[in-house]
Amino acid sequence: MRHAVLATGAAVVVGWPWAAPPYFVFLASLIAINAIVAIGLNLLSGYTNQLSFGHAGFLAIGAYVAAILTIRAPAVPVVATLLIAGLVTAAVGLALGVPCLRLEGLYLAMATLAFGFVVVEAILNLDWLTRGNDGLRVPAARLGPWTLASDTARYYLVVAVAALLIVAAVNISRTRTGRALLAVRESEIAAQASGIHLAAYKTLAFVVSAFYTGVAGGLFALVVGFLSPDSFDVFLSVDFVAMIIVGGLGSILGSVAGAALITTLNDSLAGFQNYRPLIFGAILITSMLFMPGGIARALGRIGRPTHGAAPSEPARQGEDR
Amino acid sequence: MTWAALVHVVISGLATGSIYALMALSLVIIYNATRTLNFAQGEILMVSTFVGWSALQVLRAPLVVALLVAVLASALLGFVLERLVIRHAISATHFDVLIITLGLSLVLRSAAGIVWTHDEFPFPSFFSNRPLMVGPMRVAPGSLGIIGASLALMLALGALFRWTRLGRAMRAVAQNQRAARLMGISVERVYSSSWVIAAVVGAVAGVLIAPVIFLSSKMGLVAINGFTAAVLGGFGSMPGAVVGGMLLGVLENLAPLYLPSSIKHSVPFLVMITILIVRPGGVLGRVARRKV
Repeated sequence: MRHAVLATGAAVVVGWPWAAPPYFVFLASLIAINAIVAIGLNLLSGYTNQLSFGHAGFLAIGAYVAAILTIRAPAVPVVATLLIAGLVTAAVGLALGVPCLRLEGLYLAMATLAFGFVVVEAILNLDWLTRGNDGLRVPAARLGPWTLASDTARYYLVVAVAALLIVAAVNISRTRTGRALLAVRESEIAAQASGIHLAAYKTLAFVVSAFYTGVAGGLFALVVGFLSPDSFDVFLSVDFVAMIIVGGLGSILGSVAGAALITTLNDSLAGFQNYRPLIFGAILITSMLFMPGGIARALGRIGRPTHGAAPSEPARQGEDR
Repeated sequence: MTWAALVHVVISGLATGSIYALMALSLVIIYNATRTLNFAQGEILMVSTFVGWSALQVLRAPLVVALLVAVLASALLGFVLERLVIRHAISATHFDVLIITLGLSLVLRSAAGIVWTHDEFPFPSFFSNRPLMVGPMRVAPGSLGIIGASLALMLALGALFRWTRLGRAMRAVAQNQRAARLMGISVERVYSSSWVIAAVVGAVAGVLIAPVIFLSSKMGLVAINGFTAAVLGGFGSMPGAVVGGMLLGVLENLAPLYLPSSIKHSVPFLVMITILIVRPGGVLGRVARRKV
């Protein structure tokens, strides 16, 4: 059953550019990019219970690094560009993650929110590098002898990277590291008592999450082809949070499903900008009240059952309620 | 720069700081009662200020009426939101409630945009904008008015928490919810009251700040600085919230004098990160150890 579902999914993904009109190929690329961010965010929020409202900031860093690299050094192959985008973002994640270790959930949420604002401010102020509000046009990237100029070529690049990162994420969650992260989510104190180095694992989650988002940012730059600071506002961070909430905290498959749902919804609501936050807010509220655990839990055992569960209430919060 | 100019900057910093302090207080009031952060606090402020403004436009009434309408609207809004939405998540984790209040803030902002558009509107002020000359110093009456009104509200809150039955109940719940319940305090009523009080504080802050930053659906963002202020003072401490707010306001106004002016918007963030590294318990607070 599982294999059949996976095989069908893979066939659809590979065959998509031949079956769908170009715009939907572009949309599918966006979904894959957002899925990478959602997985990265889920590694942080779903696994270690640290909520981030600053992932649009990470995405922006990855995107601008990749864009500037593609402009200044066109000879660099796209794989290296993406890797550098991811690593630079991961370094920023480390710099932000270390002070944020001191923060409990609420504080972290606000600190990351502020981080998102600062990134946008920084992009505006570094206009000799980023061209500020005028925006940055990103040329087609090169991979060996090919120039990735068509929607289809970029789609395959995005899908290949996404597949790689999904497999990596599934593997992380099955290792000692993944189990340690899940233990941190359940109870920081209990995890610490079991010999898990809390600070190290929380930082690790932050860095890996930033890396994923940075790579996604690089892909975003290549696929969209034009960057400006206002594409990375706080609402984008909220969209990412909505993806993992709707998809299911701690579920990788759920992240992908959430990304697909929110991206498609975003696209179909493009003509109703005024109502978009209204609908998104309502989705957040209703899915929290009536569907905690998101799509992953609702679909039950199709996803990986061990990670499909919603986070139970951490012991430390149960104290005085 | 002369010291007279410096005093001017500090006073306008204190005025901004008073607003941050009020926002911080309203966040802390809800946090102490329910242990959650209300992301929609800024949007409640924004919506109630808009309602007050509408009263002003429709009734052609004096500004005091707008203030009263805003306060009533906020109290109602706080009550209804807590009762209809938050109460249903009473067993949820803080994480979940945080997401729910985030959803509320999106809904409120979007709804306000649909009703009142996303434009900026001028808002009348209680205070004249002709500067007062005190010796060599120029002082804006608006700043002094904001500081005075905020201080009055803070004193009223202090009295409420210190001397009334409700205030005692709220402090008891903040300390230990289970014990408070065992003593016969209705924790649910405290939840309701905290949302109503916080919303009212926000509405006053909104009416005070709207003449300065304009009335718009974006003005709820001031709540972020309120949060930084609360962290600066030690989250959960009410005197800390006041001190933190004032401090943040002054820092934010002083920083551009010494640093590039484009850095102004990043000051709250930098302050927050610094304080979290150096003194996570805030300038007045202390780090509480949790028992397992």
